[in-house]
Amino acid sequence: MSASDKKQDPTLPAHRHLPPWQAALFSLVVPGSGQFVVGRRQRGVGLLLALIILSVLILWQGATALFAAVAIIWAWNIWDAWQLAGDHAMRLEVPVLLAAFVVYGVGIAATEIRPARFISGWPSVQPYLTALTQPELMEHPTKDIVGQVPIQIPCITPLPQPSKPASQNPKVTVNTRCAKVGDTITVTGDGFFPNFNGEMIWVNPIGDEQHVLENGRPMKFTTDAHGHFQVKIAVPLAVPVTSLPKPGETQTHLIRAEQHKPYGPLQPTRTLRLVLNKIGETIALAFIATILGMIFALPVSFLAARNLMGGNAVTRAIYYTVRTILNIVRSIETLMWAIVFAVWVGLGPFDGTLALFFHTIAALGKLYSEAIENIDPGPIEALRATGANGAQVVIYAVLPQFMPAFASFTLYRWDINLRMSTVIGLVSDAGIGFLIIQWIRLNRFNAMATAILAIVLGVAILDYVSAWLRHRIIVGNPTNAGRTLRSYVVTGVLIIGFIAAFIWSWNVAEINLVTFVEGAPAGVRMIRDFMTPDMFTRPTKKEAVDAVLPVPCGSGVGTPSAVSGSRVNLSLSCGNVGDKLTVIGHDLPPNTHVSVRWVFADGSYLRVKKDCCTTDSSGHLRLETKIHPLMAVNPKAGRAKPGKVEITWKEVIGPPHLSKAFNMVVNLSLVTLLMALIATTLGSAFAIPLSFFAARNIMGESVLGRTTYATFRTIFNLWRSVEPMILALVCAAWVGVGPFAGVMALAINNVPNLGKLFSETIEDIDNGPVEALMATGANKMQTLVFAIVPQLVPRFLAFILYQWDINIRMSTVIGYVGGGGIGQQFRLWVGLNQYADAGMAVWAIVAMVWSMDYISARSREKLV
Amino acid sequence: MLRVEHLTKVFPDGTVALKDVSFEVADGEFLAVIGLSGSGKSTLLRCINRLIDPTEGRVLWNDVDVTAAKGQELRHIRRQIGMIFQQFNLVKRSSVFTNVLSGRLGYASPWLSLVHQFTEEERQMALAALERVGIADKANNRADQLSGGQQQRVGIARALMQEPQLMLADEPVASLDPVLAHSILRYLEQLNREDGITVLCSLHFLDLVHRYATRVIGLKDGQLVFDGLPTELTAKKFKEVYGQEAEIVTVDGSGSGLMDHGE
Repeated sequence: MSASDKKQDPTLPAHRHLPPWQAALFSLVVPGSGQFVVGRRQRGVGLLLALIILSVLILWQGATALFAAVAIIWAWNIWDAWQLAGDHAMRLEVPVLLAAFVVYGVGIAATEIRPARFISGWPSVQPYLTALTQPELMEHPTKDIVGQVPIQIPCITPLPQPSKPASQNPKVTVNTRCAKVGDTITVTGDGFFPNFNGEMIWVNPIGDEQHVLENGRPMKFTTDAHGHFQVKIAVPLAVPVTSLPKPGETQTHLIRAEQHKPYGPLQPTRTLRLVLNKIGETIALAFIATILGMIFALPVSFLAARNLMGGNAVTRAIYYTVRTILNIVRSIETLMWAIVFAVWVGLGPFDGTLALFFHTIAALGKLYSEAIENIDPGPIEALRATGANGAQVVIYAVLPQFMPAFASFTLYRWDINLRMSTVIGLVSDAGIGFLIIQWIRLNRFNAMATAILAIVLGVAILDYVSAWLRHRIIVGNPTNAGRTLRSYVVTGVLIIGFIAAFIWSWNVAEINLVTFVEGAPAGVRMIRDFMTPDMFTRPTKKEAVDAVLPVPCGSGVGTPSAVSGSRVNLSLSCGNVGDKLTVIGHDLPPNTHVSVRWVFADGSYLRVKKDCCTTDSSGHLRLETKIHPLMAVNPKAGRAKPGKVEITWKEVIGPPHLSKAFNMVVNLSLVTLLMALIATTLGSAFAIPLSFFAARNIMGESVLGRTTYATFRTIFNLWRSVEPMILALVCAAWVGVGPFAGVMALAINNVPNLGKLFSETIEDIDNGPVEALMATGANKMQTLVFAIVPQLVPRFLAFILYQWDINIRMSTVIGYVGGGGIGQQFRLWVGLNQYADAGMAVWAIVAMVWSMDYISARSREKLV
Repeated sequence: MLRVEHLTKVFPDGTVALKDVSFEVADGEFLAVIGLSGSGKSTLLRCINRLIDPTEGRVLWNDVDVTAAKGQELRHIRRQIGMIFQQFNLVKRSSVFTNVLSGRLGYASPWLSLVHQFTEEERQMALAALERVGIADKANNRADQLSGGQQQRVGIARALMQEPQLMLADEPVASLDPVLAHSILRYLEQLNREDGITVLCSLHFLDLVHRYATRVIGLKDGQLVFDGLPTELTAKKFKEVYGQEAEIVTVDGSGSGLMDHGE
């Protein structure tokens, strides 16, 4: 450390010699200034910046206890200045460790990590895990008996007739006609299969089915010899909060008892058939998006290749523009694009395909352009020298250099698209993810487990196939030898198979250009709103004018028409429901959006007209309408006094300031960065020890060693194929929705990913130093510390940075499924049509991903 | 004294690297080992300090059976035997000083050394070793910033930290140019003459063998085919060891040396 510090500033004037107490005094007042004046400028600025950043972080989370650490760094900085003035450099371990302590402390607070939730949340996640051992694969066909009885929730008086009937045979009865959520009710049934079990299903008013749970598990009942049963169940909260009945209303639910008696030979379950179907759709989406993305990325990549576009100012401008667009598109995750395109073309496979396709163009465009930039001009020159023409040069000198990179990048993208395609259904109706999220909502954990296991197997198998293909392409025979009949037949079959797969995928993906064109206005509007983020707002005050309107006449006193100032005049002073009414506003602010509404006596209100209205340039407004039925005075319904007609608008009262959405975005961006940081740290901490078990050279050639190696490798590969988005669903059930679940999901996913990379690094280490140290008589631990660890540290760090980079991208979307961070808010904003706010989240994500890309690329250059 | 008795090594893939090799090395000898690439030279040297376990036969070092030693005992034998390598086998990202100190690990405290703690005496010793090979000024450089010749000198300094009685040198100059080759071998010669360290060194060039070795053994297909003085190693004997197609070249490209086709 001291050596490198001394080397940093050879050009600066020699250290100014200050008495140590002066340097210390400087640093006491302004941290780092003492270091600065004795010539260690970088160190001084670094200390000051670090202290500022740490303090801001602490204040942000209000974790003031951590200021103790800041104080120690401050004290250390004074001592350091003293020492530096005496030409004595101190090591940086103390402040670095303390700074890390603060960052992690703040991170734990911000990401709401509560280890106690592992225990308290266990009962809710246990059914997920048990289900993984019981996928629904094969079953016997069944003879079914299904009976149902309605129940109304909550109780009101008078209780209306249920909107759905009870079944007659079999007969199901419940001991009450109505109940509230949480009540225990007794359900009896008759006319079922005797001495046989069955399950209880709860059907909500919308028709969603869920298992009735007992201790977190689906409830089973068993009938007696007469086909009779009786169970007690707790009334579940079966309706989303947004669809709960209004006060004074009730909803009809159904309690259903089902028995399924198997007979005959085994056959695939409906679940399995559904899963296989959707796995097919998943693969089709990834396939079509990769192929189309590849086709579109090729021309784009020429425009983004520096060596082709370096000619003149115009082409260089095109190069920079294309590069920038590619980078922006790339830094927005596929799942985010799926949400964007859902607004454009609606939910469905087409939406998913578009998202995958769009992201693929950007990613492949960049990779291809780099492959083009890396083409060696030597062979081109050599062929030109032989007199070859342009086409010949391309075929013999350019393509052979470009093809391997092209093929390998395309396959790499296919791997990614396949993984993405498994989770795109979490935000759209596309691919297997859709089934998973549906089944989780319905508490059908065994079905969910079937889907997850299908993903694990499917992805692992296709990974294997693509690894084989890649090997064939890269190691493959470069000559044109072996043009036999057989090779022609094989090629022909492959081409036909490819075309068939393409057509099938095209159909499955429901690609429909008409939808695309029709949806364009909505999409373009959204993108336009994205481009104008809502960073500033101006404080406003709500202004209102109103006039009382008694309905019917005589039920109250109307407001006499005012004659000056902002005012609302009505064409009637009183009237009956349905009468024509003209609302006229005078002296309102000109060209301003105002809202005209009925205000009822109980304080509630209704807009007179949707998307109404804008005043003219003289502040005048005129609106024709009919008197609304709720305006009628009706003491029984709580409207004892006459209502009013009101015009409201917002008046700007101050200078612009940062909007609430902007503050939220900044806040959530920090949370997102810290989520990624903590997840990477946790993932690495577990991956490092495990990776040694998956390294062939460490495990040795003994039977035990080889078995361990193979086991760990296989587990890593299978585990890797579960995307963090899916893990987040399970983690959200375990520890609750929020950043903690996101951190957990990312960390769990990082362990096998990093473990695999680490173990490959361990296999790649230079064995020479190990041999040399063993030859000196060093023991195993010493060899590890002196010969292996120094080789591993920089490469591990490089991979950890790379993973952090990926984690930041993932944590921008993991919130869609309950993982917290900025993604949760983005999805909410898009759902509320607040595109300007959503746009700000997008820009924040682009900024985060770019800066992290830059930092990690720079640091990796230094490390390796 | 080193005694090698009926040494045989068969690798798991069936390759027979050594076939019934027996010889003795007296204290203070500079023994050159010659032979084609793949003739078993490296395997022979590595069987002596048990980096490779021989299939059959024994190695006796000062009447202690190296082949039977285990654990602590083996490590104590190893620390008396220094070794330098063709590819230097330094930890490239560690400093030169750390690389040299790591030669002392067999003596150092097993626990303190894990946190890179060495005694002041050991540090002085490492500096002295670096001075002896003429690169004390490079102590704080990273090992991969040094040239090949300098890296090999770090390798020698590391071996010196063991205060060895025997030095195994596995083609120490095969990766170096002729001038550096001589300088490295001169260090080995100095250790051999001044400190009385026995040297076992595999070499490729006839002129180097003539210039430095006091005795030569030749291996062909894992068998001992020559054992004698360098002066007895005539062109005819050379052809026996290296095969009929071998051309005699020297380390600096002229005169009478020998390089096998594998290099």
